[in-house]
Amino acid sequence: MSSITILMTLQNLAGILTLAGATIVVAVVIFVLLSASEEEDKDTAKHKVYAVRTKYFAILTLVLVAGLIISLRLVPYPRAGSVADETVTIVGVQWFWRMGNGEMTTGPVEFVGSNEVTVPSQKNIKFVVTSADVNHGFGIYDSKGSLLTQTQAMPQYKNLLYYKFDNPGEYYVVCMEYCGQTHSYMVGKIHVQ
Amino acid sequence: MSTIDQVEKKKERKLVLTWAVTFLIVFPLLIILGLFMRLNQGRVVELDYTQFYAFMTMHGLGMAGVLFSIAFAGLWYLISTRITKLNLGVGYFVYVLVLLGFLGLAYGTMIGNFAAGWYMLYPLPFKGASWAVSSTQISSVSLIVMGVAWLVGILHLLYALAKRYGGFFNLLGWQYLRKGEHEKLPALVLVATIALVPGIFAFLVGAVMLIMFLLQSFEPTLSFDPLLLKNMTFFFGHMLVNITLYCGVGWVYGLLPEFTKREWKVDKVVVYSWNATFFFIIFAYLHHLYMDFAQPTSVQYLGQIFSYGSAIPATAVTMFGVIAQVYHSKMKWTIFPLTVLFGMMGWAIGGFAAIVDTTIAFNTGLHNTLWVPAHFHTYMLMGIVLFIFGFLFYLFSGEEGIHQENKLGKVGFWLFVVGAYGFLTMFYLSGINGVPRRFADYQGIEAGQVKEIGAQLARYAAMFIYVVLLGLLVMYWSLFTKLLKRKEASA
Ligand code: HEM
Ligand SMILES: [Cu+2]
Repeated sequence: MSSITILMTLQNLAGILTLAGATIVVAVVIFVLLSASEEEDKDTAKHKVYAVRTKYFAILTLVLVAGLIISLRLVPYPRAGSVADETVTIVGVQWFWRMGNGEMTTGPVEFVGSNEVTVPSQKNIKFVVTSADVNHGFGIYDSKGSLLTQTQAMPQYKNLLYYKFDNPGEYYVVCMEYCGQTHSYMVGKIHVQ
Repeated sequence: MSTIDQVEKKKERKLVLTWAVTFLIVFPLLIILGLFMRLNQGRVVELDYTQFYAFMTMHGLGMAGVLFSIAFAGLWYLISTRITKLNLGVGYFVYVLVLLGFLGLAYGTMIGNFAAGWYMLYPLPFKGASWAVSSTQISSVSLIVMGVAWLVGILHLLYALAKRYGGFFNLLGWQYLRKGEHEKLPALVLVATIALVPGIFAFLVGAVMLIMFLLQSFEPTLSFDPLLLKNMTFFFGHMLVNITLYCGVGWVYGLLPEFTKREWKVDKVVVYSWNATFFFIIFAYLHHLYMDFAQPTSVQYLGQIFSYGSAIPATAVTMFGVIAQVYHSKMKWTIFPLTVLFGMMGWAIGGFAAIVDTTIAFNTGLHNTLWVPAHFHTYMLMGIVLFIFGFLFYLFSGEEGIHQENKLGKVGFWLFVVGAYGFLTMFYLSGINGVPRRFADYQGIEAGQVKEIGAQLARYAAMFIYVVLLGLLVMYWSLFTKLLKRKEASA
């Protein structure tokens, strides 16, 4: 069971779904390729295709509505009444992270922090994320290299990201929004105890 | 009914051939920039950062520009030779301005090192930039010039169509929703209208945004709201790419019936679905801002709803429409219908991957990973670009020649398709493995194996890009022999 949940990262699920979708599309394309060789008058052919279309339309609509109902419950946005056990301030600066425990008391430009921060596991952490200059992206990876969650770090705005680390260990911060020259080296670390 | 004489058609043909040849020159050059990006990410070559991001900026903006140009030029040609006369002077005006804008952009990026990316998020061009302010200015002006050119072209085209069909709303097919007699509206015209009207909004918003950039470049104390600018950026960027695809779909509606010998009629379902598409085109851009938690949550929900909605008309009406055209039609799979069918396939697969990514819950784990370039390269490279090559074969072979077997063209086509899907697979696998997009290289990432996987997949991707280029070469060979033969025949 646990191996299944490990394999089933969000990204793997996306990959499997898309592979399934692509397989169906390719099957339809092959069917269409082969179907052209036969001859039938236009109206009969059209009626057959449209009969399938009606069913397809009904199924697609159902699937999309179901997809919306299920997935819109799983959004990463803060809910009204979300409570945090601990607050961490995150400021993106070209090209490093300033992070620190607790709420920020200065402006983002003056904020002093480090590119490593320590937080407890099994606790609801509130990340207050902003930027001192341009747009950055605050992405958290686990030690296996899975991207767990993210939010944009935007100047003049504070994005609130609530996250609970299930297990202690090393987590990595990677900048997820292109912010200039050394964007690809804008990394940090979160030690979860 | 037809007031378009042969002389006029010849002139329009010359215009579209000018566009086509320009496209054929620029397209592989932009691919080579992509090749260098992947080689750098795979540690095979070493570019400096500024150079990498300047390549990235030129590749992204250049591709978006050149594809929209040819998509628009194709619509212009079909409409001006089949539906209603268009002003050639305006046609060349658009061409010259777009070319100038393109050259200016190439200068700004490749020489001036402007490297803010294809979507240049404010205030990036002004803070910590490794390029001169003048490069930002040259690039912005160049983009404005292109936008103005397209705006003029679109307005002229829509005006001519509205005049021909007795009013703008008839172009949207609204007469089909009323009782009573009315003139038939070609599907080509309906789709062209739905594709181009949002273009007006896109280019206006894009121009306003770039003018704001210019103002700030002259007056550094100015400051704008970054969230507003981000909304404007994606409103413009998303729409440009989206309508490029729909322009290509317009040709499919217009040309496929010549191969299946089945008329593609506009009816109520088609009208409803394309009018709905209009709104999807305008509001789907919101999915680019999912990770901006400062955006109101209700707007985020709307983004997902509109994005999901766009799948309905695209598949149930257009793709089923293609199937109804082809099914049991005793049609031969010559090069043109083949590009249409595979173009639809790329659109569907890329669209499916897009629907996954436009699910907010998934977006948390996929946003700004290589999954994003993966899906949009699928419906650009394996969607619209295939439609474009189909159209070019149509154009270069002539209305009779296109129905003949073209073995060489098909060999090129298959190489291109196989190479492209290989290249795309590496993007998808990278996205699944958490490799971020817009990274000059992955050496800085310590988490897991992301660094190694990212570089390895980039090297594999580069090998597939060579196959893509080989396929292109073969298709070019076939295209130009067709063109020369026609020239000889008519001489
Ligand atoms: C074989 C053909 C192509 C190759 C090899 C290629 C390669 C690439 C690569 C390597 C990137 C950078 C990905 C990253 O690390 O973020 C990229 C980005 C991009 N490509 Fe392509 N591409 C191709 C075709 C196209 C086409 C047909 C379009 C049409 C719209 C396109 C538009 C873009 C855009 C808009 C970006 C994003 C640039 C940015 O992030 O600023 N590409 N491409
Ligand atoms: Cu960054």
